[in-house]
This record gives sequence, structure tokens and C-alpha cells, in this order.
Amino acid sequence: MVEPLISVRNVKKYFDVGKGKTLKAVDGISFDIYPGETFGLVGESGCGKSTAGRTIIRLYEPTDGETIFNGRNIYELSRHEMQEVRRDFQMIFQDPYASLNPRMSVLDIIAEPLDIHKAYKNHRERYNRVIELLKLVGLNEEHAQRFPHEFSGGQRQRIGIARALALNPKFIVCDEPISALDVSIQAQVVNLLKKLQKEFGLTYLFIAHDLSMVRYISDRVGVMYLGHMMELATSEELYNNPIHPYTQALLSAIPIPDPEIQRNRHRIMLEGDVPSPIDPKPNCRFVDRCRHATERCRRETPEFREIKENHFVACHRADEILRGSLK
Amino acid sequence: MGKLLEVKDLAVSFQTYFGEVEAVRGVSFHVDKGETVALVGESGCGKSVTANSIMQLLPMPPAFYKNGQILFEGEDIVKKSDKEMQKIRGNKISMIFQDPMTSLNPTMKIGKQIIEGILKHQKLSRHEAKKKAIEMLELVSVPQPEKRINQYPHEFSGGMRQRVMIALAMVSNPELLIADEPTTALDVTVQAQILDLMKQIQDKLGTAIILITHDLGVVADISDRVIVMYAGKIMEEGTTDEIFKNPKHPYTRKLLGSVPRLDMDRNESLHSIEGTPPDLYRPPKGCPFFDRCDKAMVICKDHMPNKEYHSDSHYSYCWLNHPMAKAADEGSEI
Repeated sequence: MVEPLISVRNVKKYFDVGKGKTLKAVDGISFDIYPGETFGLVGESGCGKSTAGRTIIRLYEPTDGETIFNGRNIYELSRHEMQEVRRDFQMIFQDPYASLNPRMSVLDIIAEPLDIHKAYKNHRERYNRVIELLKLVGLNEEHAQRFPHEFSGGQRQRIGIARALALNPKFIVCDEPISALDVSIQAQVVNLLKKLQKEFGLTYLFIAHDLSMVRYISDRVGVMYLGHMMELATSEELYNNPIHPYTQALLSAIPIPDPEIQRNRHRIMLEGDVPSPIDPKPNCRFVDRCRHATERCRRETPEFREIKENHFVACHRADEILRGSLK
Repeated sequence: MGKLLEVKDLAVSFQTYFGEVEAVRGVSFHVDKGETVALVGESGCGKSVTANSIMQLLPMPPAFYKNGQILFEGEDIVKKSDKEMQKIRGNKISMIFQDPMTSLNPTMKIGKQIIEGILKHQKLSRHEAKKKAIEMLELVSVPQPEKRINQYPHEFSGGMRQRVMIALAMVSNPELLIADEPTTALDVTVQAQILDLMKQIQDKLGTAIILITHDLGVVADISDRVIVMYAGKIMEEGTTDEIFKNPKHPYTRKLLGSVPRLDMDRNESLHSIEGTPPDLYRPPKGCPFFDRCDKAMVICKDHMPNKEYHSDSHYSYCWLNHPMAKAADEGSEI
């Protein structure tokens, strides 16, 4: 059995929104990420997927829970120890326009992690490393002296990726890295991420709302809804045999670029919108929009349990759905 | 069915400090009554400029019509004055936008905004207009419309705001609805709701829709015909089935290949299109897709291909489809 690279245990992140109210953005999620894999985290806006990604690498201080990396709970590390660990964690952001400092040259942007961790002996070495990184992401030496505004969205995202790779990290959180890009450019960036993963044995946490892209890039996928993990399985399993009524609805809502399939498929329409994550009641978070909701779902939060091998789900009626007695 | 809208050889440019940007370069298409036509393409391909010029919503200057006609019910929109446009805009042609928050007035109650739209084009009393506003909200399935009309836009969720926008656009029962990326800002489950709603309304009222989007899944879902644009020109047009099942232009093929499909093998790599679209300050003389196309030939560089018909409804602009290029095998790279 392979040891997980990162174990997330019951992590919670609450935000105080004033007037004694609490916004429970992430409310107790647990999962493992194995070395070399891509773990996809999907859900609709406001489900807490980005907060989860940031809390796991301690960009946000967690409210509760632990994240084990290299046998240590990173939430207990001192500031100094944390800085060492940060070398292994990097992040790629959604907006390639906002995540690069417009006043810094590409050279300085990519070298910034090297500067902070003093990862070079002299200027020559710093420069060479940056050029090496630029080439790795499909840019070249002449781009080093330019500024972010001279680049297109796809190229900027490549710069962001080069910066994330600068310190040879083990784990990269990709927070919607392609949703701001055009489709043809999305494919370029995704292919690049896959290539780099193979080359350096990187582990990704890939956060996205584009479900077909997540299926394509991820080995395992977790589905979040209002701060809870609803279902987790390998991507084949999740997309072929979704159990949770929310996952089923989510998958049936993806528009498929094929008119014939699109005309003949049965869709599960969800009524209404995602409810507010402020002071939620202790019940299944999905209860108000669920086709199969019962009294029990309104009373207690379902436990997140392994229903099949490597297939976890948080639903009181999962067994019935699995047996096919619910339609 | 009669042609509702006919765009003939439309060219729109922007005068900027650095020179002229040729955003739309000779686009011709038509929309029949009650059908849905999708304009597809990547950012900067001219799809939104085309749509905005139908509504005369482009700021002029810097924008100007360089050439062409836009015939709506037989009359040329390009020649209409502001006054005349006001009778068409929001009345016969309506538009909904990507971000419903920025297109609603945040300081005005929803009801008042809808009533304002009704009174602008219809001779009704305030009381009747209010009744009509409630009816419109019912039409777009906003729950508790009597209560909701007294609320402000920030009290609505993204999906609900888009419903309000659709209600607002439909008040005078327009012939044509232009939807500019109507679901791009929404989550998938809400997107499915809004697309369903648009289909329902179209069935009920017989409105023609021009759908502008980059999401091919959305296109497959609701459109009858598809127009693929690139660098200010139409590359290919056909019925939805023709475009998805039998694409003739390499760009359309690549575009379809760059989206992962749910039934695709995960070890396959996505067909990315290398490079970026051309700069429209100095648009290329020949085929604009030339430098990104893996089937490009010498002729493509300097000569724009002719229109080649594959069926009555399906045509493309590509030298590969020229009768004399038949020797060039589909699979081989040139």
C-alpha cells in the first residue's frame, strides 16, 4: 500500500461574518492524496473548494482538523518550520491577470520563490534556472525581460506554472487554472500540466468547476457541496456510477458537445439555488434540493463512509441507491 | 420560414490610437423566425462585436461600420438613427448579457426596472404594467413574484438575476433575442435551468435566438444552426448536426477536439491548437487560421479561400475543400 503524500483529516475553516454569525466554508472534510496522482475537487461556486485548497496548504489558518505531510501535522509547525514545508507546496491561481505583479519582469516573477528561499549561489545560477523554467513551460529566453501585460492569458498561465515549479515542489494546488482561458488554450495548459506531472512526478490538487475537464485530468475526484465532501471515488467510477443524488444531478447537467446525445439524454433538474453556508443546520446539506430526501436527512448529517472499495459517499440512502431500489 | 434577420458582408472596425482594428471582416448570415443560431468562437473572434452591431450598441467612435448591411424585417439597421433604433431596441430585438449583476441597476427595485421597460414600449397604465411585470416573472419561474418585485438585484442569486434579465428582455415579446454568453457566469446546474428556460420561452413565444458562446456543449444543447467564427470571419456554417458530426474546416475540428468528452479515454491527449489568434491590427491576407493549421498549404498564406458548399445549409472557407485540393488526403499533413 502506498503511503499518502497528504492526509487531510476533518479540516474545518469557518469565517466570522459579524453579528455572531459563522460562515462554514469548509466543514470537516477528510481525504488522502497519493504521490504522483491528480486529485480533482469539484463543486459549484461557494461550495468551499477553493477555501479547502488554501486551507490544506495553510494559506488560511484552519479552524479545526489536521493535515499530515511527511508524518507531521503541518498546522502545528512553527513559522520557521512552515517555511521549509512551503518549498514543497505551490499554487497556481485562476486569474493569470491578477496573480502576476504587473511591475515585475517575468525574470523577477519566476525568480521570486528562489529569492525567498535563497536557492541559488550567484546571479548566473538564478538567471539560468529561470531560463530553464521558461523553456520547460514552452516559453523562451527572450521572454524573461518582458512584463506580464505583454503576454496573452495562456502565456501568463505558463509563467504562473514556471513560478510554481521553481523550487521543485512535490505538491501543487491548481485553483481553477484554466477557467479564465479559451478552449483551445485550455487544452494547451492541461497538456502542459500533464507533461510536467510525468516528468517530475508532481502531485496535483486540481480544483475546478468544469466537470469534463476534471474527469479528464484527475485520477480521483471529490465532489463538494456547501463545505461538505459528498462523494469521492476514482474518476472512472465517479462518472460512471455516481451514487450521491447531488453528483448524479451535477453530472447530468454537464452539456455534452454532441447534439445527438444531448437530445436523448435524461436530465435531473435541480430546483432552486445553493443555500447559504452561514450557520447551516445540522442536516444533510443537500436536503432541500434532493429528490430522495427523507425525515432522517433533515435531522442528521450523513456520515462520509466507504460504500464500495475506494468509493466514499455521504448519503443516508446510498445503500438503496446502490441496490437500485430508488429511481 | 421567412428570414427575420439578414447580415450581409458586415465589416466593423475600431479606430484606436495605434490604428484600425478590424474586428469583424465581412460576415454574412441570416436568422429565420423562431430558430436558434449559435455564434461560436474564441475571445476576440468578433462574435460579440457582430451581435452588438445588430443592436447598434457599439460606442461610435471608436467603432464604425465599414461595410455591409444588417437587414431586420427588410430594413437596414446600419442606416437607422438613434431615435429609430430606440423603437427597435428592447422592443423587437432584445439582448441578455453574460453578467446579470452588471446589467441590472443595483439601486432600483427589480419590479421598477421591469415596469420601466414595459412603459417604454407599451401603452399601459402603471397598474397594468405592474401586473404584466409579475406575469413576466412567473413566465421565467421566479418564485413568489409579488414579493420579489419589491427586492433589489443583490437579493437575487446569479441564476435568479439571469431569469430577471430574460423577463426584462421578453416584456415586449421581441422577434429576436440576442444572448451574449448567457450562462458563462453560472454554475452547471443553474446553467441547465437557464438553458431549459430559454427553450421553453422560445417554444411558447416563437422568438428567434442568436446565442453567442464559446461553450460547445451549450451549442449542442439548444441551437439549430452553428456559425463558427475566427479572427473576424466566418470559417464554417451548418446545422448543428453537420457541424458536430461532419466538420469541414480544420479550425472547427480542432475546436471540437480541444474539449474533453465524458466518453474519452484519459490517456489520450487533448488536441490543443498551438499558437494564438492573429493580431487584427494587421489581419492576414489569406486564411487567418493559416499559421495554426497543421494542414496549411502554400496558397493559404496569401489567398482567402472561397466559400465551398457541402450541402444547402453547410459551407466552409478552406482551400482543402476546393475541388482541386481533393487530391490532398484528409489525414496527410502538407
